Amino acid sequence: MRSTTNTIWAVFGLALILVLPAFAGGQWIKIFTSTTTFAMAAAGAGFLYTRLGMVSLVQVGLMGVGGWVTLRLNHAFNFPFEINLMVAGAVTMFLGNLIALPALRMRGLYLALITLMFAAGLDIVFTAKQFPNGAAGFWGVGTTFAADMRRPLLAQSDAAYLRYTMVWLVIGFVLIELHRRMAPGRAWALIRKSEAAALASGVNVTLYKTWAFGLSGLLAGLGGGLLAGSLGLLDSATFRASESVMLFALVIVGGARFWYGAVIAAVLFRVVPGLLNNWGVDADLSLVIFGAALLHAVMTAPDGLAGQINGAVRALIPGGKTAETKSDKKGAKA
Amino acid sequence: MISIENLTVRFGGVVALDHIGAEFSANVSGLIGPNGAGKTTTMNVISGFLDAHNGHVIVEGTDLVKLAPHKRVQWGLRRSFQKEQIANDLTVRENLMAITDHLRGSRGDKRADLERAAEFAGVTGILDKMGRDLNTFERRLTDVARCVIGHPKMIMFDEPAGGLTPEETERLGDLILGIHDLTGAKVLVIDHDVELIERICAETLVLDFGKRVAFGPTSEVLRDPAVQAAYLGIEVEEEHA
Repeated sequence: MRSTTNTIWAVFGLALILVLPAFAGGQWIKIFTSTTTFAMAAAGAGFLYTRLGMVSLVQVGLMGVGGWVTLRLNHAFNFPFEINLMVAGAVTMFLGNLIALPALRMRGLYLALITLMFAAGLDIVFTAKQFPNGAAGFWGVGTTFAADMRRPLLAQSDAAYLRYTMVWLVIGFVLIELHRRMAPGRAWALIRKSEAAALASGVNVTLYKTWAFGLSGLLAGLGGGLLAGSLGLLDSATFRASESVMLFALVIVGGARFWYGAVIAAVLFRVVPGLLNNWGVDADLSLVIFGAALLHAVMTAPDGLAGQINGAVRALIPGGKTAETKSDKKGAKA
Repeated sequence: MISIENLTVRFGGVVALDHIGAEFSANVSGLIGPNGAGKTTTMNVISGFLDAHNGHVIVEGTDLVKLAPHKRVQWGLRRSFQKEQIANDLTVRENLMAITDHLRGSRGDKRADLERAAEFAGVTGILDKMGRDLNTFERRLTDVARCVIGHPKMIMFDEPAGGLTPEETERLGDLILGIHDLTGAKVLVIDHDVELIERICAETLVLDFGKRVAFGPTSEVLRDPAVQAAYLGIEVEEEHA
């Protein structure tokens, strides 16, 4: 049953990677690329929340760091795009580890506030220093500069780059799923149950919490680096602390327990404001819509839109409403 | 031999454990006392969840107090909780693997060990069942399997019979009695069920208000007037004695 659902999603995802870049035109191709990069950050926040019960409100800030490092390396050295992207991911993974340090002592709301504090700090640095655009010096910011952003050899055009970004997103999902099925996933499940249970099972809680934040940071950094590759220039307004809060809220609306919940979150985050703009409506109206959606999710759909879609898909497949569905509901309540 | 020496724990001005000492040589020993006596505190100090202000817990020449909590598990310490801690979003097999993941050994050895533990506890048939779908007894049995996996040297059960029917308690008692033959581990059991303690524990330590009230063979300890006074709430009226 579960494998049938997964196969359906895999086919759907593959079709989307092939078809979407071919048909999306003009501005939309950029919007979809940025949606994909934010989906990576959302996947990181969602995994941290659903596997460890920890709230990270710094994901978009870490995307900014990933973007900054990618731009900085691009303008300073002649490395291929992939190298820059990897270094960006490594830097944000390290930052994620650093943020995990208070996570070892803080729980729930207090931990969320600490991560928000990090996001606010990054927000100030980005606003003060801006993003490198090819000028001289460490910060590399000049008023008249706009140096070229190199892209991967295989993804020079916007459509190819969208496909490239989507492949990275799939790699991100696979990475999370592999972790879930192996020793870290089991350790995280125990930590989520209770730290005492984890300790009594021989889990090194410090190591695995740090690991989880590192993985989440890695995904955000890769997302930020890919966004930099798409746009060539980044703006500090994209990485405000409030954006991290918004992304997390949408992860809850999208459904943190399901991988496609991250995609739904990112679509809401990037596509809805774009659509409203297209219709000539103020994009800030999206905040009202998201607020209502969050209330709806908190009150009636703990597994978010992805949970509801999952329920509908199961109901459509013959024999889909099995004991598994019931047990999943029980699990969601637990 | 489990040797507890001079164990002291303070919470601010409250002395939760006051220089507790005992040498358990039996294969299955008991730890009893009324609510607030310090039983779970003792277990938490041995597990490493609480730091002792003083004292040692020496098992097979190793002072457990000096090891980090997760290292104690690698050394061979296992425990269960009053409210069993089975992860709901893992299967029974994964709950067991979560322990072997952190132990040394080849994958084949770990698999064989897991199957042996599952068979002993009687959970082989439910290895692929999710934690959230288990009933109370199945959860307890999974807990027993968690405790006997990975060649343990010392196992602690914190009120294992809580919420079980008399028949289930009896079966659990039999399982606990069989642990030493299977693994060679020493077992320490905390429970309010005096019948269970009397049946399975050769030696028993009785605590009250963090102090040692009595220690020795279980039948003798349970007949001790001081124990009856502390544990069973019977007043010792010396004038009538």
